[in-house]
Amino acid sequence: MSRLLDRVPAYVREFESYVPSRPDPVLMRQYGVTGLHRLNNNENALGPPPLAQEAIAAFDPHRAAIYPPGDAYDLRAALAAKFGKSPDQFLVGNGSCEVISSVVRAFCQPGDAVVTADKTFAVYEWVARFSGVEPVLVPLRDQAIDAGGMLAAVTARTKVVFICNPNNPTGTWWNRQTLETFLAGLAGRAVVVLDEAYREYVTDPDFPDGLEVLTRHPHVLVFRTFSKMYGLAGLRVGYLCGSQEAVDIVRRTHIAYSVNALGQIAATAALADDAGHIAATRGMVAQARSFLRDLFDGLGLEYVAGEGNFLMARTPVSDTLLYRRLMREGVMIRTMTGFRFPNWIRVSLVEEPAMAAFAAALKKVLDKP
Amino acid sequence: MSADCRLAMDVPSDVGFARVLTAAAEALALRGGFGRRESLRFQLTVEEFFGCLTETVDASQAIRVVLTGKKHLLRAAFDFEAASLSLGGLNVVAAAPACAASEPAGDLGLLLAGKAADRFHIEHRGERRFGLEAEVDKAYPPGAAVQAPAAYPAPFTARAGSDAGQLAYAAALAAAAYPAWHCPGSFQTPGKFADMIEDGQVRCVVATDAAGQPAGLLSWTPCSDRGLYFSGPFVFAPGQDGAAVARVLVEAFLSLVGREKYEIVLSLRATPDAPDGYFESLGELKLCREDACRPQQVLFRHLREDAGLAVWRHPDLEAFLLDAYDRLAMFRNFLNAPSPTSRPRRESLLGANLDRKRDLGELRTLLDGEDLVDNLRRHVAALRQRGLGNIFYYMDLSQEWEAALAGDLTAAGFTPSVVLPHGGRGDLVVWQHVPAA
Repeated sequence: MSRLLDRVPAYVREFESYVPSRPDPVLMRQYGVTGLHRLNNNENALGPPPLAQEAIAAFDPHRAAIYPPGDAYDLRAALAAKFGKSPDQFLVGNGSCEVISSVVRAFCQPGDAVVTADKTFAVYEWVARFSGVEPVLVPLRDQAIDAGGMLAAVTARTKVVFICNPNNPTGTWWNRQTLETFLAGLAGRAVVVLDEAYREYVTDPDFPDGLEVLTRHPHVLVFRTFSKMYGLAGLRVGYLCGSQEAVDIVRRTHIAYSVNALGQIAATAALADDAGHIAATRGMVAQARSFLRDLFDGLGLEYVAGEGNFLMARTPVSDTLLYRRLMREGVMIRTMTGFRFPNWIRVSLVEEPAMAAFAAALKKVLDKP
Repeated sequence: MSADCRLAMDVPSDVGFARVLTAAAEALALRGGFGRRESLRFQLTVEEFFGCLTETVDASQAIRVVLTGKKHLLRAAFDFEAASLSLGGLNVVAAAPACAASEPAGDLGLLLAGKAADRFHIEHRGERRFGLEAEVDKAYPPGAAVQAPAAYPAPFTARAGSDAGQLAYAAALAAAAYPAWHCPGSFQTPGKFADMIEDGQVRCVVATDAAGQPAGLLSWTPCSDRGLYFSGPFVFAPGQDGAAVARVLVEAFLSLVGREKYEIVLSLRATPDAPDGYFESLGELKLCREDACRPQQVLFRHLREDAGLAVWRHPDLEAFLLDAYDRLAMFRNFLNAPSPTSRPRRESLLGANLDRKRDLGELRTLLDGEDLVDNLRRHVAALRQRGLGNIFYYMDLSQEWEAALAGDLTAAGFTPSVVLPHGGRGDLVVWQHVPAA
């Protein structure tokens, strides 16, 4: 009598499923608080842009009975118009996590390898592992993705290189020169994914625009998301852009109809009305970053304040203990042990009241023996 | 990691097939390079456990037997269905063991099986299903005296250890530098430690100095599906350098396991070199040797956010658990587990692990029975008679029947000491026996 588990590939059997945080009401009950400041997921505290909010409010509930466009037709057209591309160069997914999975399925088979940093967004590594693909992890250098190390890690088995730019959780980023040198050195030996989930937060003109880069490097795929700057995390919309040939390959392994109608409508509306929203968000983030720098300087805590709507700080106690103590004060941060940064926390940069609540709670819990 | 050699068989519940199993056990031992004595012990273990089970398991049923050969041990696992299971004869203090439908030969066989194996474990897997695992260790020569390097030039780096020679050397350095309490038993036989690493049973990080010499060691092994039990950090470099070595060891350890399936790491034998800020204290155990006692911190940390858990709670343990979880800022759903009103069998069975190097006896109830309190007392008396001053009992709060035994433990002289979150299937309470004044 064989067990069900005996029929599962070893690379699935050995993989542990991710356990997300409990819903807020459950957490509040568990920790005995009446409110929760969510500083753990880098959500945009300002919400979606105004036109997206209007589109969501205007959504006719009866439309929930109708299938959405299976290939996000209108949203791809809006993306194409905004960025001067063909709609066929875009593939929309249920968050960028889905397109990560589609890319790995399209280019890799069990026994292949992908290259990524050891301390970066975890989903590249996870998808590779549960697909039977080896994730080759390159250590960060000075808290930044090491371009030389990444190049040196590429072998004949490497099919995809994942670069999170700016990197989550350090906020460090490759400038134009670093990226061009890397791509020249790679010389098309692997597909390069530039994950630009946080690119809208970066104002430095030396930050490379992946959508421009891919016009010169056809093996580059760019990931972007509506979950961060555009404040639509709850609707799960992300996309990739690449050469028509590359996107056509990924489309073969991508599930149609995976993005819901409301998400597509809201994302399309968000694109039409983003300038003021982006400016306001950047202002809020800059203010919060300055606030936290002052806080951590005052407490004598080491921190890394790169780009993106988050900041990472080293804590004098275990990050997971700090999480539990902060939760009792109604503040939720992200522990970094799972990012291979033991005793660091990542804090989302949001509006002043939440930042002030975090500061007060942190001081209080660090005062405890 | 070395590949295990594994044989799996569905064997009819008929003692006539015992020879098939002993032949397989012998071949496995031979292939793994085990000595004649270990081979015979393993064959005896397999034969006698199987013989006993054929008297318990219905003749129409098969017993699933999996024999596994690792570099450092041989394991026999039996998976079977039985209406009831009474294996009181396996108790280490048993004098006249009894088997189901007992006949003298079967009783003696069970006693022999229990003594021949280095350890065994019985698990009730629900309804009529049980699992029994027994292991026989390979014999290794004790480690030779080692010479520590004269100096350790900085800087220090740490990475996963895999070089057998380096591992054996580092284990021997640790065994020479630290009291036995802090060291895994395998450090006394460094060849075994290296084999356990190769088998994947134990993992470790080794810190090296600028000259590539081992400057520190930290090892760990799973204590449950959710938890890792670590030993160390063992630091060979002195002074400030030692503190730097401890930090790189702990950072490397946590970075290696931080994205794995485990929820927690913990240690009942962490060294005083554990750096500040990386671990929480769960409390203290009182360790005694020759009438002198000292506290030992139990260290712990989560690897991810705590998602809460349901635990069974006996009324006698309520105040202790409330205080412990409040101190840890850890949420738990409590389910009531009152004392049992009836017992499933006459004879209870206790699993016992004896560790003379640490003067340590560890107990847990494998099968509940009417004689549990007396059985606990008998075990305590036997362990004390053998000079073991530290007697711990482990209770898994994910099991209602285990949690319900709190009253029995108190009656047998045990006191709850610390809660190990995710230390078992769920949270584990460590009880310590306190001798009557």
